Amino acid sequence: MRIIKNLQNFLYDQDYYIDIYNNCLHVYYYEDLQNLSSTLIELKLKEFILKIEGKDLIVSEMDKHEILIKGKIDAVRFLR
Amino acid sequence: MKHYVLVRIKTPKKTSLLLKLNRLNVDIKEIVYEKDSLTFKIDKQDLKKVKKYLVSYQVEILDETGVYKLKKELKKNNLIITGIFFAVIIFMILSNIIVKINIIHEDSTLRELILESLKEEGVTTLSFKKSYDEYERIIEHIKDEYPNQIEWLEIDVEGMVLNVRVEERIIKEYEQSDSSCHIVASKSGIIESITTQKGVAEVSIHDYVKKGDILINGNIKLNEEIKESVCASGSVYAEVWYHVNAGLPLTEIKETDTGKMRYNLMIKKGSEETVLLKSRVGEEKRVENVLLFRIFGFEFYLQKEYEIETSTITYTEEEALEKGISLINEKLELKLDNFEEIIEEKVLQKELKNNNIYIDMFVAVKEQIGIKEYF
Repeated sequence: MRIIKNLQNFLYDQDYYIDIYNNCLHVYYYEDLQNLSSTLIELKLKEFILKIEGKDLIVSEMDKHEILIKGKIDAVRFLR
Repeated sequence: MKHYVLVRIKTPKKTSLLLKLNRLNVDIKEIVYEKDSLTFKIDKQDLKKVKKYLVSYQVEILDETGVYKLKKELKKNNLIITGIFFAVIIFMILSNIIVKINIIHEDSTLRELILESLKEEGVTTLSFKKSYDEYERIIEHIKDEYPNQIEWLEIDVEGMVLNVRVEERIIKEYEQSDSSCHIVASKSGIIESITTQKGVAEVSIHDYVKKGDILINGNIKLNEEIKESVCASGSVYAEVWYHVNAGLPLTEIKETDTGKMRYNLMIKKGSEETVLLKSRVGEEKRVENVLLFRIFGFEFYLQKEYEIETSTITYTEEEALEKGISLINEKLELKLDNFEEIIEEKVLQKELKNNNIYIDMFVAVKEQIGIKEYF
């Protein structure tokens, strides 16, 4: 998955990605995990803060710059 | 390549732990939320970092992952794996070895000849099997080496046994057409019939001839002058006489099956036979062997042991005489062809001695007596 993402990143030359799937959200190249709970997750990206609201939110996979969040996502906000 | 391990960290505050792990910049995958713990895969280098900085947490390593798990399993079961590996190698070696060479032909000289040729080509017992092409080459080589002895040769590999089927070359020595011959009498007798194909018949039916007399002459004469010499051919049947002696006992031991049969096992190595179990039918028995399998030159047989009863039969003088005559007839008839027959037989003398009967017989037989004599 990472190889494909890296390749996509190289080809598109973007600073970050946010992919939303069914009950699943994938963020590539976040800078910091600011808040984590089962109803709210806040991620700091380069130009804004990504606020994810929902129920039973869990982190399924995580590394330095990439995170996969699962759960019932109600809202995704961008705070500049 | 990263070396991931599956770990479990006990904590009721899972989100707090995840935030701390995030601060440490560790790479974690497949996070499973349990009641009082988090289970996930983590890189071994990152795990060191976790153990160093998150000392208050109890970290339990559950298992290796990926190639390392396979490596661990292999290491754990190395004895079994080594055993299987060697067993496979031994099986492969054994299945490629010839343990017996069967040369299928009745002539022992030819069998020896083939066996020697195969040995020269490196095909011996306990040697490795060769490829189909190699066997074809060996066949051609042996056939070229013995063109007058071998008509056809085939090598067939059946498991660990090499079957060599061979057909002997029979070179017929054709009679020279320019040679001259007579048909002469091989025995003395009275002519019963004469058929001439070539040459001139010298005798007639009911003529008495002695051994060596010319029956069909190869010289064709005209006015006592030989015009042509041929190789006489034809058949001459004559009544010939035999004086036959036979002796046979008045008593005979006869064996009859009682119907009781028990199984046994027998191993045969060459001519040496070893019976594995104790016989359960007693001393008087008849044995039938059924081959089960062959391995490393040993033959394993299933033995059927039939219990028998022996009884002594005593013949009267007349019965013994009748038996003796039929025995003589049987033996004589074996020598006779379709056109030959026993004409007459007569008992000349009979004598009882030491519980045996001795018979002197005169037998008259219609027999082909003409043989070729070249000149």
